Amino acid sequence: MSIVEFKDVTRVYTSGDHELRALDGVSFTLDEGKFVVILGPSGAGKSTLLNMLGGLDSPTGGQIIVNGKDISTLSNNELADYRASTVGFVFQFYNLIPTLTVYENVALVKDISKDAIDPKKMIAEVGLADHLHNFPSELSGGEQQRVSIARALAKNPKILLCDEPTGALDSETGVLVLKLLLSMAKNYGKTIVVVTHNQNIAKMADVVIRVKNGKIKSYEEQTAPMSADEVEW
Amino acid sequence: MLIRKLFRTAWNYKSQFISMVIMIAIGVGIFLGFNMEWKSLEHDAITFLEETNYADFRIYSESGFTEDDIKAIQDIDGVDAATRYFNINVGIKDTKKSVALNVSENYTVSTMLVMDGAQYDESSDGIWLSDKFADANDIKIGDELTFTYTGAEISGKVAGLVKSGENLICVADENQLMPDYEAFGFAYVTPKTLEKVLGMAFYPQINIISDMGKADLEEEIKDATGTTFLVTTKDEHYSYAGVMSEAEEGKTMGSILPVLFLAIAILTMVTTMHRISANEKVQIGTLKALGFRDRKILMHYTSYGLMIGLIGLVLGVVLGYIVASLIISPNGMMSTYLDLPGWDLVMPGFCIPVMAVMLVFLTLISFLSVKKMLKGTAADALRPYTPKAMKKSIIEKLPFWNKLPFGTKWNIRDILRHKSRSAMTLVGVIGCTVLLVGGLGMKDTMESFLGMLDNDISNYTTKVILSESAANEDSIALANKVNGDWQASSGISYEGKTITLDIYSADGGKVGFLTEENELMNLTDDGVYLCLRLKDTAKIGDTIEFSPYGSEETYKVKVAGYTRSLVSECIVMTDTYADSIGIEYHIGSIYTDKASEDIENSAIISGKQDKDTIMDSYDTFMEIMNVMIVVLVVAAVVLGIVVLYNLGVMSYVERHRELATLKVLGFRDKHIGKLLISQNIWLTVIGVLLGIPAGVGVLNVLITALVSEYELSLTLGILTYVVSIALTFGVSLLVGLMVSRKNKKIDMVEALKGVE
Repeated sequence: MSIVEFKDVTRVYTSGDHELRALDGVSFTLDEGKFVVILGPSGAGKSTLLNMLGGLDSPTGGQIIVNGKDISTLSNNELADYRASTVGFVFQFYNLIPTLTVYENVALVKDISKDAIDPKKMIAEVGLADHLHNFPSELSGGEQQRVSIARALAKNPKILLCDEPTGALDSETGVLVLKLLLSMAKNYGKTIVVVTHNQNIAKMADVVIRVKNGKIKSYEEQTAPMSADEVEW
Repeated sequence: MLIRKLFRTAWNYKSQFISMVIMIAIGVGIFLGFNMEWKSLEHDAITFLEETNYADFRIYSESGFTEDDIKAIQDIDGVDAATRYFNINVGIKDTKKSVALNVSENYTVSTMLVMDGAQYDESSDGIWLSDKFADANDIKIGDELTFTYTGAEISGKVAGLVKSGENLICVADENQLMPDYEAFGFAYVTPKTLEKVLGMAFYPQINIISDMGKADLEEEIKDATGTTFLVTTKDEHYSYAGVMSEAEEGKTMGSILPVLFLAIAILTMVTTMHRISANEKVQIGTLKALGFRDRKILMHYTSYGLMIGLIGLVLGVVLGYIVASLIISPNGMMSTYLDLPGWDLVMPGFCIPVMAVMLVFLTLISFLSVKKMLKGTAADALRPYTPKAMKKSIIEKLPFWNKLPFGTKWNIRDILRHKSRSAMTLVGVIGCTVLLVGGLGMKDTMESFLGMLDNDISNYTTKVILSESAANEDSIALANKVNGDWQASSGISYEGKTITLDIYSADGGKVGFLTEENELMNLTDDGVYLCLRLKDTAKIGDTIEFSPYGSEETYKVKVAGYTRSLVSECIVMTDTYADSIGIEYHIGSIYTDKASEDIENSAIISGKQDKDTIMDSYDTFMEIMNVMIVVLVVAAVVLGIVVLYNLGVMSYVERHRELATLKVLGFRDKHIGKLLISQNIWLTVIGVLLGIPAGVGVLNVLITALVSEYELSLTLGILTYVVSIALTFGVSLLVGLMVSRKNKKIDMVEALKGVE
C-alpha cells in the first residue's frame, strides 16, 4: 500500500518580483518498505522534494499525503509533531549536537517521541557501543554518520529521509555506511528515501525517480536491484 | 572595493555594531557627563566667587567690630582687602518670608553682581535684592520693601536684582538643605541705610581677602588688634564648602559609575569582535588566498574597531554634554541649589587623553582578534573557525549529572564552552542589578533620613529664632510660656576644626536625638555627645578639649556618647551639663508646638519658621534625587538589554545549526525557546545573587563619600530588593523572548546546508 502520495505539488519561491518554480506539478506515490532513490543534477528540485516530504517546508500548491494524512496545510507545531513521529533525517554533514555525547545525541529524541527505541540498543546496532560517552568531535566522519542514523531510527519513524548521506565520506566508508543504513531500514521495515546524484546508489534502489527542472523526468521501478556488494564503486 | 565591503559587513552585523556603539556611547557619556559636572561646577562657581570678591576668611564678634579693628586688619601685610560686614537674617514685614541682609562697609570685599537695574551706589538708600527671590515672589525693580529686625524697620525701593558669592547657596541656616527662594532670599543695602536705621555702625563680622594661611592670619590679627579672634576659612563657609562637597560627590560619581560602564563596553567589544572575526575567518582566508597582504587585511578589519570606537565616542561626547547639562545649566538640577550667573560646561583635562586611550584600546581589540585569525598559511586561514572541542568538565563527574535532562546538560556545557560570553552575560546582569540596587537604595536611604528628620528629630511645629540681643532669662521665660525646648548654638574649635556646639534644653521632647542605630535616646547630664563624624576622635569616657569661638578659654569635658547629627557637624550637651562646666551661651532658638500666629511678636523674636516650610525645602532635594534615580534605572535597563541582547544574538548565531537540528528532529519552537531562555535565566540568577551584595557595597561607598555633609545610614527597603530583582529578571526574560522569537524564523533547510 502507498505510504506517500504527491498530488500535483508545486513550490514557488518568490524574492521581489523574481519567481523560482523549484517544484512544478509533481505527482507520484511510494509504497511502504521500499528503498527509493531520487536522482538529479544540482538545482533540479530534489532537495526541495525531500524537504516537502520531511515537513521542513510546505508546498505552495497541491497535496502531500503521508501515512493517510495531508501534511501540506499543517501549522508549525503540527509539522514539528509530524517530524517527531513520522520521519527521521540523515544529513550529509551529520548535524549532531557538538555539546552532547553520542548517547545524549540519540537519547535526545526521547523528549519528543512517544515510542522511541532504547538509545543504547540503537547505538549498539550501529556498532558504537564503546563510544557512548564520546563527544562527536572525538569521532570520525563515518562514526558520526552512524550516530546520526541511530538517532534517526531511535524515533521509530515510518520513513527515513537521507540527503546525500555519503556525500561527505570517502567512498569506502560511504559504502559501509550505506550498507548499514539499508540493512537497518530493512530490519525495522522502514521506507527509505535517499536524495543523491550518485548513479551507483540508484542501482540498489527499488524505485528511482529522476528529477529535472522541478519536474519528474522518469519514474522507474527496478524489479531486481543490485546489492551493495554487486555495485562497482 | 574593500571600503565597500567594510560598510556591507558592518550592515550584516548591525545588531552587534549598534550594541557596541551604544555601550561605548553610554560609557563615554557617563564618564564625560559626571566629570564635566564637577569640573564645570568648580570652574563656574570659582569664577563667580572671584567676580564678586568672595572672602577667603571671616572673623566674628557678637558685639561688633570697631573702626580701629578694621583699619588694623586692612594694614596687615598680606591682606589684600578687608571689610566690616553685616549679615543677619531679617523678616519681611507682614509676611512669613525672610532674607539674609548683607551690608559690606568697604565695597571691595563680598560684593554682588547686578543682573538688572542700578549698579551699587554707596549714597543710595535702595535695596539690591536676590533676583531669584524677586522672581519667585514677583517683586519688581521699584517695588517698596520693609525688613524687620528686632523691632527696627528698614525700608527702601528695590534698586537692582543681583547675585552674590556670599549667598551662592541661599539658605536660612544649616538645617535648611536646599534653597527655597519663595521663603528665603538675600538682599544688600548700603552702610548708610544700615547706620541710619540702627543709629550706629554695627558690624559683627569682618571679611578678608588674603592668600595667607589661617594660622599666620590669626597671628597677624592678634598682633594688629591685641585680641585673639578665631579665623574661619572659606572651607568652613557654607557657600564654598557646599560647592566643594558637590564637586567631591561628582568626582566620586565620576570615578565609580564610568568605570563600570567602560569596563562593560570594553568586555562587550572583546567578545563581539572575537565572534565577528571568527565568523569572518573564511572571508579573511579568501582575501589572503586572493593575494592580499596580511597588513592590508589587518588594516581592513582593524578599521571596524576604529569605526565603532569613533562613532561611539562621538555619540558619547554628545551624550556626555546632555548628561552634564541636565545638571549644569540655567535650568539644570544644580540651579536649584546654587545661584550662579553663568553655567559653562568645562571638560577636565584628563578626559581627552582617556578617550584617546579608549579609542586606541578598542582598535587594538579588533586588531588582535583579526591577527589571531590570520595566523598561518592561507589554507589555514581558509578553514572555518572551530570552537574548542568539547571536554568533560568537573561537574560531569558529579553523581547527579547523568540524571539531568539533556536540555540542562546542553545549556551547562554551552555556558562552559563559551566562557567569555557567559562571563559577559554575568557582568551585564551584575551591572544592571548594581545600578538598580544603588539607585533605589539611595532613594530609600534619603527617604529614611528625611523621615527621621521629620518625625524623630523635629517634633515641633514652629521654630522661633531669637535675636542676637535677647537675654537668656527672657528667652527662657518665652520658652516656658510657649511650652518649648530651646537650643543655643555656637562655634567652637575642636581638633583644629571649627564645628558647632549645640546646647539643648530638651525636656519637652520637641527635639529628638538618635543613636547610631537610629533609635531615640535621652541625653544625660554628665558629659557631651559627639556626632558620628567625630566618632573617631574620642572614645566614650575620654576627656576632650575644645575652646569657644573667639576665646582662649578651653573646656575639658567627658564624652558621654555619640549621637547621629543629620546635618551639622557638632558636639551636643544638655543645658544642665553646660551650666555645670560654666560655659557661657546665648539661646538662639525655641522649638514649640504652638503655631507661629499664636506666638506674640516681641523684641527678642527675630523670626519664626514653620517646620513644614523647612521640610518643604527638602522636597526640591528629593526631586533632584528622583531625577538621578530615573537616570540610573534607565541606564541599568538599557545596559541590561543591550548587553544581554548582544550576547543572546551571539549565542543564537553560534547555536544556529544546533537549533535547526533540534527543529528538524521535531522539537517544537516553544520547547527550543524554553531551552534558550533557561540559560539566560540561570545566568541571571547567579548575576543577581552576586549583584545585590555588590550594589549594597557600591551604595555604601557612595554614602560614605556623602558623610561629610550628612550622616546617612544605609537603608534598603524590601521593595528595593523586589523591584531590582524583578526588573533584572524582566530585562533578562524580555531579551530571552526577543532572541527565542528569532528561533521561529530559522530556515531549517538553509541552516543545515554545508558546514558553516
